[in-house]
Amino acid sequence: MNTIDIDFEACNGCKICYKACFVDVIRWDESAKRPVVAYPEDCVQCNLCELHCPVGAINVTVDWDKPFPSVLEHGRRYPS
Amino acid sequence: MRKLDTLGTVHETDVLIIGSGIAGLAAAITTKERSSAARVLVVDKNFSGWAGQANKGAGMFMFLGPDDPVDRFLDYHTRKIGMFLEDQQLLGEFAAESQATIEKLDSWCRTFCRNADGSLAADTFKPGLPWHLAAAEHDTQMKVQRHAKRLGVEFLDKTMVVDVLKQDGRAAGAIGFSLLDGSCHLFQARAVILATGGQNYRILSMWSAARGDGIAAAYRAGAQMRNAEFGSFMQLVHKRSKEPLLGAEDALYNAKGEFLSTWRRELEPDVDPMAAAVWYREMLAGNGPLFTHNEENWLLQHTTKTHAEKGAYGDVAPGPWDRPKAEAFWGKLRSKTAAVDGLDAVSEVFPALSGELSPVKVDHRMETTVPGLYAVGNTATSGSAMAGAVPASPGRVRGKALTSSTWMGIRAGAAVGGYVTERPVGLPDADKAAVLKEEIFAPLQRAPGLQPIELVREVQAAVAPVGYSIYKHRERMEEALGLVLAARDRIPELAAGDPHHLAAVHEARAMVLCAEMFYRASLAREESRGWHLREDYPQRDDAAWLKWMMLEDREGQMHLSTEDVPVRDYPFRP
Repeated sequence: MNTIDIDFEACNGCKICYKACFVDVIRWDESAKRPVVAYPEDCVQCNLCELHCPVGAINVTVDWDKPFPSVLEHGRRYPS
Repeated sequence: MRKLDTLGTVHETDVLIIGSGIAGLAAAITTKERSSAARVLVVDKNFSGWAGQANKGAGMFMFLGPDDPVDRFLDYHTRKIGMFLEDQQLLGEFAAESQATIEKLDSWCRTFCRNADGSLAADTFKPGLPWHLAAAEHDTQMKVQRHAKRLGVEFLDKTMVVDVLKQDGRAAGAIGFSLLDGSCHLFQARAVILATGGQNYRILSMWSAARGDGIAAAYRAGAQMRNAEFGSFMQLVHKRSKEPLLGAEDALYNAKGEFLSTWRRELEPDVDPMAAAVWYREMLAGNGPLFTHNEENWLLQHTTKTHAEKGAYGDVAPGPWDRPKAEAFWGKLRSKTAAVDGLDAVSEVFPALSGELSPVKVDHRMETTVPGLYAVGNTATSGSAMAGAVPASPGRVRGKALTSSTWMGIRAGAAVGGYVTERPVGLPDADKAAVLKEEIFAPLQRAPGLQPIELVREVQAAVAPVGYSIYKHRERMEEALGLVLAARDRIPELAAGDPHHLAAVHEARAMVLCAEMFYRASLAREESRGWHLREDYPQRDDAAWLKWMMLEDREGQMHLSTEDVPVRDYPFRP
């Protein structure tokens, strides 16, 4: 799965990453005023959180080997 | 008699809009423009302003400029794209209003590229195509949402709507839940507009938010579907990153070094399913994998100024096409994909399904066959019959999704804005809502059980193979439908431990339903036409199949019927 690293020291609590995530990967901890990477397995590397973080506190490392359905049937596997 | 407020938090509004992409926002703004007193509530699973596709793609908007006659566009579209299954009256109205649609949208956001004289910057996707493209910055959606807020549109984020509620056969509200705390939310409305996007089966990353929620809700509410057999859009993608490589279909080679793109000698508007068929045949013949030679990729070499990826491949000269936000988006993505795809002259590619199933049937006011229930954008593009025998936008008109979704939203907003405050607010049947609530929340009681991602993978295994969904054949489709029905049988086992996974459960249900629609309609259409490509029926059959295929629920069974396309009433005929 993708890895979403957040520098919580640099984070200014603006909530943009939480709002930008359109697949509900990032949630918000109201008491800590910081994001929570709640469902990283659903990240689709749109990079919107990383791109829009005003203090550059987020880095999305993509796992390019995430499961992908085969486009051939009958047990033939492509892409491998 | 049970009251609705015993079931959860009740929201009363005049117009309920489900989904805050460009279609939903256009509907919301237009409703307020037509009826400023109308209460408009937009509900989204995530955050409005960030939802939808306007900030995840190229940001291109097709339109007909002053030198693009509507008749020329319709003639080309019927012959090369929709293959005479278009509702030509609706497509003609869209085409004629396309530039005004963009100007209207830009009046809400001021994000479109313009020339020094103020005119829309316009280019063609490929020279010779009878339409033009405009381009907007990637913050369009955000600015349109702010405009809607200024007009008094209300928003409820992080809330998933699962089902439409009715009163005496008419849409009267909806039911869903909060993704944050799992609480039940019910909506009473005078009109309901579905704007949740199409069905993309969570395969291609950037388009994975379109999970068919609205299609499934409409179907379960009794709405008719149309043109479901065309919902198998695919693009050739890089093997490693699975990111689309536009234009790869023009320069395909097999592993023996043989050139394969011989079927694309004349100007083609965009990718076509034959690229997938060629890939499939070569792979089965042992001639794979397939490669594209990037120096022969016309689009890659001569990419238009409107192509947002330009920033990733080369600098964009300062001028009207300069879009720093779009270029930053594509630059970020490309900087990551280049690490695995490389920047080689030759790229290994394969056909990846994005689906774009959009079958909710709507009339020219965007109303479904359920009174008071409307559907716009890629929830209903194929269902509107505007596109003919192709998947939802883009179909084979790159940049059409954003323009047509905006236009459909404006149409629906104008329709409901004209009458909505004069109708009594809906009073949904609370007993039926109680039954739906029990169904919606039941997976929370089953944990542990079948995880939704497991069922999603079963559906993906039934739709992603090219031989099942793109290069079709009866035997293979029956096999695929069997896999879908096996997945359907497992729906009662689905379990969720929290509201995030409860949403995934209902998305998985929608995927199963959409895949079943697709295969049942595809099996019935015994010909090849447009995007519907059958190995066992390779010819187009105008004598038998100038028909629209309809689907609807009848007592739990998916019922098929056909309707003749009134092609004799249209200006362009086969």
